Amino acid sequence: MNIDVSGSDAYACDAYGHLFETIMNDVGKAILIDKAKIVLQPEVPLFIFSVRLVNEPTNKVISDAASIRQDGMDTHLSISDEKYAPEILSQLWRKYSRDRVEQQTRFDLIVYGGKEEEIQDLQISSGEEAKKEIIGALWRAMPEGIKNRHNISEGNVITIVATEEIMTPEQKAQGMEVHKSMGVDD
Amino acid sequence: MFEVMMYDGGVYRSEELFEAIEDVGGVVLQKTRSSQLLSVTMSIPGEDKEYLSKVCKDVGGEVKNVPLAGTEIAVVGCTLGRHHMPHPICDIAEEIREYGGISVVMGLARGRGKATSQISAKERAIIEEYDAAVFMLGNFKHCVEHKKHLFDEIGVPVILVCGPEPEGLEDDCEAIVAGVGRKAERMRSSDERKKLEQIGDTIDSVIRARRKMLEEDPLFVHPAELKQLLENYEPIDMSLRPAPIVLHLDGLRVKIPYNEHKEYFDNLEVYGRKLTDIARITESKINDSSTIIRIKTKSEVEDEDRRKKA
Repeated sequence: MNIDVSGSDAYACDAYGHLFETIMNDVGKAILIDKAKIVLQPEVPLFIFSVRLVNEPTNKVISDAASIRQDGMDTHLSISDEKYAPEILSQLWRKYSRDRVEQQTRFDLIVYGGKEEEIQDLQISSGEEAKKEIIGALWRAMPEGIKNRHNISEGNVITIVATEEIMTPEQKAQGMEVHKSMGVDD
Repeated sequence: MFEVMMYDGGVYRSEELFEAIEDVGGVVLQKTRSSQLLSVTMSIPGEDKEYLSKVCKDVGGEVKNVPLAGTEIAVVGCTLGRHHMPHPICDIAEEIREYGGISVVMGLARGRGKATSQISAKERAIIEEYDAAVFMLGNFKHCVEHKKHLFDEIGVPVILVCGPEPEGLEDDCEAIVAGVGRKAERMRSSDERKKLEQIGDTIDSVIRARRKMLEEDPLFVHPAELKQLLENYEPIDMSLRPAPIVLHLDGLRVKIPYNEHKEYFDNLEVYGRKLTDIARITESKINDSSTIIRIKTKSEVEDEDRRKKA
């Protein structure tokens, strides 16, 4: 992850670069971020946190995270991305009940009486939810008292502009400038 | 001047140690026994430190330096939110405990932000119950300097811990330790451990200065002596709270409600006087389950005696 921190306080710039990296690693979002730009102006106060994601978060279905094979009346699943294993199980339990879903190993499942075409389209992650989680992680990295926040989300770039009291149009424009400089993928 | 030290060793021959403490006119502040192990925190005259260290070694134990023993110190953060807690506030609180003090972690209700940060009169009163307060602020120099109103009117010594070196705050707090700002992980590296030691040493020097100041006009009775009297009171003796009596530099925190035990406190006899004559007793500002006793100085008691006679 490439982090660029700029601002008027040299100590804070160093500290926030490290803090941002640690928090993103803690919440498991560092891997999703390609680059980050942080602008710190505590004297205003104005804080701009902008991240460019490796990929734009999209809705994911079971077929994106597991290979599916119909065998007679039953369906076999082999999970390829373990991150989604709890959600895959949860969706299958919800649709077919626990009695009809057997977990043979950590990654192998059998759904008794399940149809491949039904299972492959079950949604296990929403892009909107993933964006919300990234915004939550950014809020966590920002100073706590800076409560007036404006979010800009476009393609794979998310930017948050934050100040303490009234947010002026100039501050929003400054945020938009940083947002554009991150290079939004169309 | 009285000094505090800790014996750490076995129970075997510990009676000899207790006799030696009594002989030199010292007092036991805290005694913790776990199976055959014993640790004793004692307050003894400075000139007898060498003698008691020898006794400790003779009975098979070792001596530890606990400069903050007999104090209760608050570590205050801007809020209890995850931006300010638990690191590094809990690391500082732990360091204080390693130095022998009792530490309490506290978060302000509205301490976050630059222009919107506030401290209430009640929060200030609660902090003033402690012997000193460590205020933990963040990484922005501008914000740290701007937030001095959080601690500049607090009546107990304040040690400010923050990231950058602030300017113009020297008169608003007792000491400043820079280099520890907001953190998202524990202070584990050797540089960070050194910084924690620096904070511990700074608190120690502030407490020493306060002790010296108290010695210029000594208290009517040492808090440890009063503790020995209070320990015999059944509700305190039977209390299940971890430390039913906590020593302060100028008094004690007794963890039983003042309202329920007012009669006992008011009539307790200390050197032929009622406790109310030689101390100010109030209920704690945190809640009514604790009682704060602040012992008056000898000159204060004498002055009141003179006024009564006149």
